Amino acid sequence: MDFVLRVAGLEKRYGAVNAVQGLTFAVAPGEVLGLVGPNGAGKTSTLRCLAGILPPTSGRVVVAGYDLAKDAVDAKRELAFLPDEPRFFDYLTVWEHLNFTARLYGVEDWEERGKALLEEMELTGKEKALPGELSRGMKQKLSIACGFLHSPKLILLDEPLTGLDPIGIRRMKASLRRRAEEGAALVLSSHLLPLVEELCHRLLVIAGGRAMALGSLEAIRSRLSGPEGESASLEDLFVRITSGAGTEKTPP
Amino acid sequence: MSFSSAVVFLWLASSRNRLRLQLQRLRRPRYLVGALVGLGYIYSIFLRRLEFGGALSSVPPGVRLFAELSLVLSALVTVFSAWALGPDRPSLTFTETEVVQLFPAPVTRSSLLHYKLVRGVLGAAVGALFASLFVGRLVSPAPGLFFLGAFLSLGTLYLHATAASFMRTRWAEAWGTRGLVARWGVLGCVLAAVGLAAYAALEAHPFPRTLSIPGVLRNWVQAVVASPGLSAVLWPARLLVAPALAQDSSAFLSAVPPVLGLAVAHYVWVRLAEVPFEESAVTQAETRTRERSQRASGGVAKGRAISSRKAPFRLSARGRPEVALIWKNLITRRRMAGGVASVLASLLLGCAIVAMMGESRFFTDTRRVLGPLGVSLAAMMAVVGPSVFRMDLRMDLPKLDLLRALPLAGWQVVGAELAASALMVGLLQLGLLTVGLLSGPGAEDPWLLTWWWPGGVALGVLLPSVSLAGLFVQNAAVVLFPAWVPADRTGSARGIEALGQRLLTLMGSLVVSLVGLLPAALAGAVVGFPLWSSLDVWALPLGAAAASAVLAGEVALGVLLLGRAFEHLDVSEDRPE
Repeated sequence: MDFVLRVAGLEKRYGAVNAVQGLTFAVAPGEVLGLVGPNGAGKTSTLRCLAGILPPTSGRVVVAGYDLAKDAVDAKRELAFLPDEPRFFDYLTVWEHLNFTARLYGVEDWEERGKALLEEMELTGKEKALPGELSRGMKQKLSIACGFLHSPKLILLDEPLTGLDPIGIRRMKASLRRRAEEGAALVLSSHLLPLVEELCHRLLVIAGGRAMALGSLEAIRSRLSGPEGESASLEDLFVRITSGAGTEKTPP
Repeated sequence: MSFSSAVVFLWLASSRNRLRLQLQRLRRPRYLVGALVGLGYIYSIFLRRLEFGGALSSVPPGVRLFAELSLVLSALVTVFSAWALGPDRPSLTFTETEVVQLFPAPVTRSSLLHYKLVRGVLGAAVGALFASLFVGRLVSPAPGLFFLGAFLSLGTLYLHATAASFMRTRWAEAWGTRGLVARWGVLGCVLAAVGLAAYAALEAHPFPRTLSIPGVLRNWVQAVVASPGLSAVLWPARLLVAPALAQDSSAFLSAVPPVLGLAVAHYVWVRLAEVPFEESAVTQAETRTRERSQRASGGVAKGRAISSRKAPFRLSARGRPEVALIWKNLITRRRMAGGVASVLASLLLGCAIVAMMGESRFFTDTRRVLGPLGVSLAAMMAVVGPSVFRMDLRMDLPKLDLLRALPLAGWQVVGAELAASALMVGLLQLGLLTVGLLSGPGAEDPWLLTWWWPGGVALGVLLPSVSLAGLFVQNAAVVLFPAWVPADRTGSARGIEALGQRLLTLMGSLVVSLVGLLPAALAGAVVGFPLWSSLDVWALPLGAAAASAVLAGEVALGVLLLGRAFEHLDVSEDRPE
């Protein structure tokens, strides 16, 4: 199978702290992988390593066939990273941010795409606004619009629904689902377990930087032994896995 | 646990933990070295000033008079500002943490007020300490007495400012615009009275015709401030600063009771005038937090508005991607305008210096002065420009996540980030040089006339490269030593060790700049000297071109190397997730 993202033995250390330890997984086109774990589990560090923001201490990350260590530029051209806290250049307007992104990624029909994305994100009419004039939710939407502009094959999302209102959340879920249907691979980190359960095809549960479970919800459920294993909700599973209550079988 | 004991616990625990953290950091060599350098700097700049006894006798009487008048006028200006400046709202400021932690706590408003008053008084103690270091030795032989007196004065002024803000809030709420008019009416009357007193004093004691005789100016100032009107104006402030200015214990003891009474009266006034301050405190805390987070993310500085000027050129979606970074930074330059304001301020300062030096030609024959001025400023920009124009990695590194996720190699990011600042500084230098060269040397000296154009062309070739090299060194420092040179504007690293680190980095940058200039100077000499016999002074531009090429080559090589460092930059060392 041709995977968009292949990760092998990913490790990230900060001094004496092992934030990520030996993560190995792959994500196929059209697949949504949920990255869940308690605070400090290493989710953001993992996403930053996958996006080429932080250099991994060891391990290999391949994005759309490009090794992130050797062909960083080509790999980054195929991905989009949407951080939990959107960051913008204070002096560029909304439209200029799209223009800037278009040049970086060589999106020639960016104006057409940009208009459609602004429409989709309900940012029409805000083209001339500076980031300082946007609400938290609007910034999040602009971050997503910039990320989607070059139709990335891999989309990395860190808490993508933070700051969005209920309608924005619904639209965003539909938008992410559509991107996946169009063939993009998504890696989504979130504490909102219902969202993860609703959107993700597979889950990667990490705690203390280690993979505690990887697979579909059903597969993880079936791997868990115990009397309530079969009917447990994701929240139950999450608590059991991350607190070490569950007896996780080694993934094949 | 009562609120007061909780606050004491908070302060003690915070201080203890901060100290412990700083001591733990000293285990790392870079912090230890930084701390040693910082301590040495503090000792040489501040603590040596504590040699009170002997130093006082050597202080000229004019300086002592100036110091005394500064204290008196500062007190008056503080009181005036409290009534005239700023919005009509309580001046008590709380941090967002204080708002979140203390406001919902079972604490009375009066307790919160006292919490802030105690903090304000502690702030007055710190202010008094600094005043003792800087001014104390000029006006008092007893540092302890000066500190106590200054502490009393500053504390009273703090209470006055708080009470004034409460009164203004009350009046604004009760009378609206009428209150504003009444307040400014009273302030206008006070200002008029002060103006009349100053006028009368100057009438009685006109400015001396000549200042060449020592002590004339000092005697005149003493006579003016001793005139009946002005001494009445200055009396309250003199009363307030009298304990700090006391020359011995008995003078101090006799000066303290009125100020103590004043402080107690102000405290009673604050309690009586107290108004609800929670809403204003919450709004101010949110504003400050927003501004701080903007600055931390490389955003606009406080109080600086972003203008909506057009982009410098249309960015096509086709072409080299790094041009987008240059385009973005040029937009930033156009919209923040801070650097241009600094350049204009420098120009004005230069004009003022010329005027002060008695160069009357500046006003009578501007064209002849513009020449040397333009050339001098262009040369000066090679030193000042890299610090003033900062739309490069120094501005963008707080957004490292964003930069690193871009589909650009490290050298492309570094090169593009440097380019906008280098373009701006270089163009400014060439503009200044053009104006200067076309205006002429401003003198008929044949030597100067011979060198004017060849030298000017040589500078035109060389200066942009020197500026580029300066910019490169400053950007390299941010990338190579992210923990030493914080790119954000929040000043995240505090303490003596951080001060020492910055000093070391500054010295390091200077050394690197000088070392980098050596090969360029050598190349210039190698090319220029052999050509001198045939081209005479016109060998200078060719030598400069060789030097410039070497500098550009050094920077290009540096960009490649720095690009690799940028790709491996890991600023998470000090803040693991």
